[in-house]
Amino acid sequence: MDFIIKIFSDSLYFTGPILLCTLGGLFAYKANMINIGLEGMMLFGGFISALILFFTHSWIIAFIAAILLAILLGLLFSYFGVTKKANFIITGFAINLLAIAVGKYVLAALGSIDINVISDVTRQMAAIDLGIIGEIPVIGPIINKQSFLTYFSFILIFICQFVLFNTKFGTYVRVVGESEEAAKSIGISINKIKYLAVIIGALLCAFAGYNVAINQLASYTPDITAGTGFIAIAAIYCGAGNPKNSSLYAILFGLSRSLAVNLSLRIGTIAGLLEMIPYIMIIIVLTVVGIIRKRKTLYRGFLHE
Amino acid sequence: MKYDKQALKQSGFKILSMIIPVLIAFAIGAIVILFAKENPLKIYFILFDRSFFRIQGLLKTLHYAGPLILAGLAIALSFKAGLFNMGIEGQIISAGFVVAVLGYLWQSLPSIVLIPLLLIIGTLVGVIVAILPAILKARYNVNEMVVTLLLNYAIIQVLEYLTSNVFRDPSSGYVSTNMIGQSAIMTRLFGSKLTMFFFVVVVVFVIFYYIFNRSKLGYEITAMGKNRFFAEATGMRIQRKIMIIMLTSGALAGLAGAGWMLSEKFSYTLDFSGTPGLGWDGMLIALLGSHSPIGILVAGIFYAILKTGSSNIAIFTNVPAEIIVLLQALIVLFLSLKMIIKAASKRASKRKEKN
Repeated sequence: MDFIIKIFSDSLYFTGPILLCTLGGLFAYKANMINIGLEGMMLFGGFISALILFFTHSWIIAFIAAILLAILLGLLFSYFGVTKKANFIITGFAINLLAIAVGKYVLAALGSIDINVISDVTRQMAAIDLGIIGEIPVIGPIINKQSFLTYFSFILIFICQFVLFNTKFGTYVRVVGESEEAAKSIGISINKIKYLAVIIGALLCAFAGYNVAINQLASYTPDITAGTGFIAIAAIYCGAGNPKNSSLYAILFGLSRSLAVNLSLRIGTIAGLLEMIPYIMIIIVLTVVGIIRKRKTLYRGFLHE
Repeated sequence: MKYDKQALKQSGFKILSMIIPVLIAFAIGAIVILFAKENPLKIYFILFDRSFFRIQGLLKTLHYAGPLILAGLAIALSFKAGLFNMGIEGQIISAGFVVAVLGYLWQSLPSIVLIPLLLIIGTLVGVIVAILPAILKARYNVNEMVVTLLLNYAIIQVLEYLTSNVFRDPSSGYVSTNMIGQSAIMTRLFGSKLTMFFFVVVVVFVIFYYIFNRSKLGYEITAMGKNRFFAEATGMRIQRKIMIIMLTSGALAGLAGAGWMLSEKFSYTLDFSGTPGLGWDGMLIALLGSHSPIGILVAGIFYAILKTGSSNIAIFTNVPAEIIVLLQALIVLFLSLKMIIKAASKRASKRKEKN
């Protein structure tokens, strides 16, 4: 029983960052600006918050720094992709590369293999004790003692659903994504919407980076993201950009990562292979979604998504 | 005569659009170097002088350029057709791994049989790894970018497991397969790092130069990249073309991985393809070379200069060798703008309006 509780509790732990990236990325996805740079933006967030926390010992300053850098990255990405009409897939890819490069360069300049901030991370930052809720049998131990951002990420599902479907901004994002011509004709400022969509994504990715680097691991290395940004992109694709559906996939991927990690503690060296469960699972899901979509399609020949 | 002038101008723009992002990246890099309290000019001089203008350095650069050019061609082949195939990295390391294992097991075979055999097997491994995303894209239109990216992670995990458990060399202090046999190692030429593999690359390059510029497939790739729907409407069988393109690109990647193993690494370690990895290097090279074979050749050599130069920078200066990774990332960033081509086409269309 404890083992099962551990699996579910860990899957919340792993889902948090994936969920933040997924919800962040889907605004840009809905506005027709697929952001491949989610991974890099998350890595930058983790990097800057660990670096600033290391030097200032204040998580507030670290968090603000992560936010500022995220806005800067969002502006960079959208200036290139929207204003300058660059190939934003490549811009996103460049941001991923840049995140690794900056991290490696600074680590080399500091002469260290990681930025360790364990002494600045309090127990309360790593895991919040919910008190009475934690006492509920089964559910209590599963949801208790996660970080604030992990809880926030689940609340965010509903916020995003609301924003995207019940606010003016959300409607504009969807209109821009569906038809720029239509958006232009009713006077929506397309560029502004796209900028905002990208910056929201950058912010949430930075939160994800902060969550992993500070709350969960209390250290930064250039591989802390481990493909989370790409898993998020897959989740967005699988759920067609709908916050609820995409989040469902994000949770599924979090669960499979938790399975891999927990089972590996039980069955020895072969467990290394289990690490690939999340990736294989996404590919299977994408395939099934692809097959179903194909069945529904009535056109002849090869179709673009 | 007038047409020639136009073509000349166009290739001039192409070259400029290659050089300008590099210059901007180097300028930003110079600022970073200034922060490290070093002279950027000196650093850049060391970077190029020792890896390009001295014969031993140049041969070393060419040695490194081999797999990079193949990886660049592999990426260009699919990107030019509008397929964002990011699986090159996974294909390279899979091929490298298989070749490493077989190069150890079959070491009793003579070199003349073993080396070509391993290169062929490596190529096939690349193709096999590419089959899954190719089928998924061609038949079910599953997003090839997501699938290939995730497949890379899965492959890395599998190889990590196999290397650290099943095929681990117990006598080695770190995680690594057994070293390939002496008969599988390609001999070095001219007392430098260069091996026969470079000449294999040259032959492959010539073949692909022909495919890109003179063959029906090359034309179809360009057509697909420009407008897939139109290409299909004219009667091209897109599904089949997607399979051919992705498998060929897998073959190139496999060959690159096999060659890198037999001419440089000799055993599979977890950092076999380096960071950010040969496949990602190939992406930068393909972009820098604007997906044309000659461009890729130049970009591949330029990139190899950076690679050889980075170790010299680490030896002779206080700047971390990671400055090179930073430069590469900046180059990709500014390449995405394609500024010159756009500015030029804008001017051209304006002139047309005037006439």
